[in-house]
Amino acid sequence: MPLIVEKKPEVLITEDGIRTDGRGPLDLRPIKIQVGVLSRADGSAYLEWGGNRVLAAVFGPREVHPKHMALPDRALLRCRYNMAPFSTPERKRPGPDRRSVELSKVIREALLPSIFLERYPGTAIDVFVEILRSDAGTRVAGVTAASLALADAGIEMRGLVTAVAVGRVEDWVVVDPNHDEDQWGDADIPVAFLMEEKEITLLQLDGPMTQEQFDKALELASQAADLIYEVQKEALRRPYEAVRLEILRRGE
Amino acid sequence: MERLRSSEKRGKALKLGRNEPKILVANRDLVLPGQPLAVGPIRPGDYVYVDKRGVLRSTKVGLADIREGEIRVVPLAGSYIPREGDLVVGTVSKVAGNTILVNINSAYPGVIIPPRGLRGRARAKYNLSPGDLVLAKIKAFDGVSAPLLSIEGEGLGKLVGGRVYMINPTRVPRVIGKRQSMLMLLKSKLGPEIVVGQNGVIWYNPKSLKHALLMEQVLAKIERESHVSGLSDRVLRLIESSGILDPRGSEAGEV
Repeated sequence: MPLIVEKKPEVLITEDGIRTDGRGPLDLRPIKIQVGVLSRADGSAYLEWGGNRVLAAVFGPREVHPKHMALPDRALLRCRYNMAPFSTPERKRPGPDRRSVELSKVIREALLPSIFLERYPGTAIDVFVEILRSDAGTRVAGVTAASLALADAGIEMRGLVTAVAVGRVEDWVVVDPNHDEDQWGDADIPVAFLMEEKEITLLQLDGPMTQEQFDKALELASQAADLIYEVQKEALRRPYEAVRLEILRRGE
Repeated sequence: MERLRSSEKRGKALKLGRNEPKILVANRDLVLPGQPLAVGPIRPGDYVYVDKRGVLRSTKVGLADIREGEIRVVPLAGSYIPREGDLVVGTVSKVAGNTILVNINSAYPGVIIPPRGLRGRARAKYNLSPGDLVLAKIKAFDGVSAPLLSIEGEGLGKLVGGRVYMINPTRVPRVIGKRQSMLMLLKSKLGPEIVVGQNGVIWYNPKSLKHALLMEQVLAKIERESHVSGLSDRVLRLIESSGILDPRGSEAGEV
């Protein structure tokens, strides 16, 4: 029996749309991203999204081991989503479980259309998504961070992938569900977009929704993704801009 | 009415086709994957693709490079993909029978196969063992099987002594510079024995430890600041401010 037993809050969302963490239905949690945090990886990104802490690392294109897995006409994209044992309130048993195997698969497939795999035949591109602290919406946080790590690794891409979750709490469609809403809300839709073309690369639904609610949810997800996309682009530019500013400041 | 509208549309399309391309970025702008660069009649160069709607977009983080009739991206990140004719510096990783495997800092390991019928000194060139550094030329690479390297040619073959510094392969053009300007500068100030592999592996034989440390500083600076113009001047200033060179360009003191 865990020490702290989680209980459903009496009110998940008030009549005027105030959520358990004080946000309105359309508000995102604060997002902070840093690119190039791991010097040993070819590309990396660290993301803080609400209480989530996610580290994404990309290695490759590199040699494929075991060799027989290599594809003759394109790169092999491999993805591992992993939760640290200390990422949850109760210790998580380390190692892959059913959930993380599924998330590895959907994250891989969310990133897949964004990469020009055919430019790297016979190689492997490995993506690692490590959840250091989880607070609802880790799969969308993982996709968002992993896409930046791919760009940081200099892998040729059609564009960045941005993911966000929308959910239904009672009659409200809410953006970026928090832990309580994730746990006790009525429906949850993680969505990933290939941003420039607004193509959907990930769409899952768990829980019932009416057609109108679903349409609204997709619309809200698209709007929220636009905001996150700006944060992503700024994060990717920041290291280069910082060097440029530093040189200007030195007056060289 | 319908017909008029369609002919209007056609007129518009034609006009746009004849028009100058619409360029959406400035030269040397920092661009990101997916960022629209241009629309219209302009050729997509390296690291640029054309999407379904005919918009030219970048595939990498890099600098936009707009030329006469072409737009391309000079990448700022990415690993080394072998190209025929490239000079590379690699480490022998394995000698198996008649084939020598070379790690060339790429997803594709290089292979050296000594030609048959070599004798004497010509054959001795191929007496390589794991750990040896070699300067080689990429003779053939088809994108699938291992790139075939050649060490036949002046200056190619085993590199003895010296030091190695690795930089991101995308910065190699900046280490060499326009018409080799940067490489000439480094050779004249820091000693003539510098070999820059296209794979980002730089071999150099410094006169002294001070020269070696300065070389490392210079290469780190080039790697970090390659996207900001005026790099040669900054590198020259760094070398001059280090004080290891006297005004005539030779070293002030040995370590």
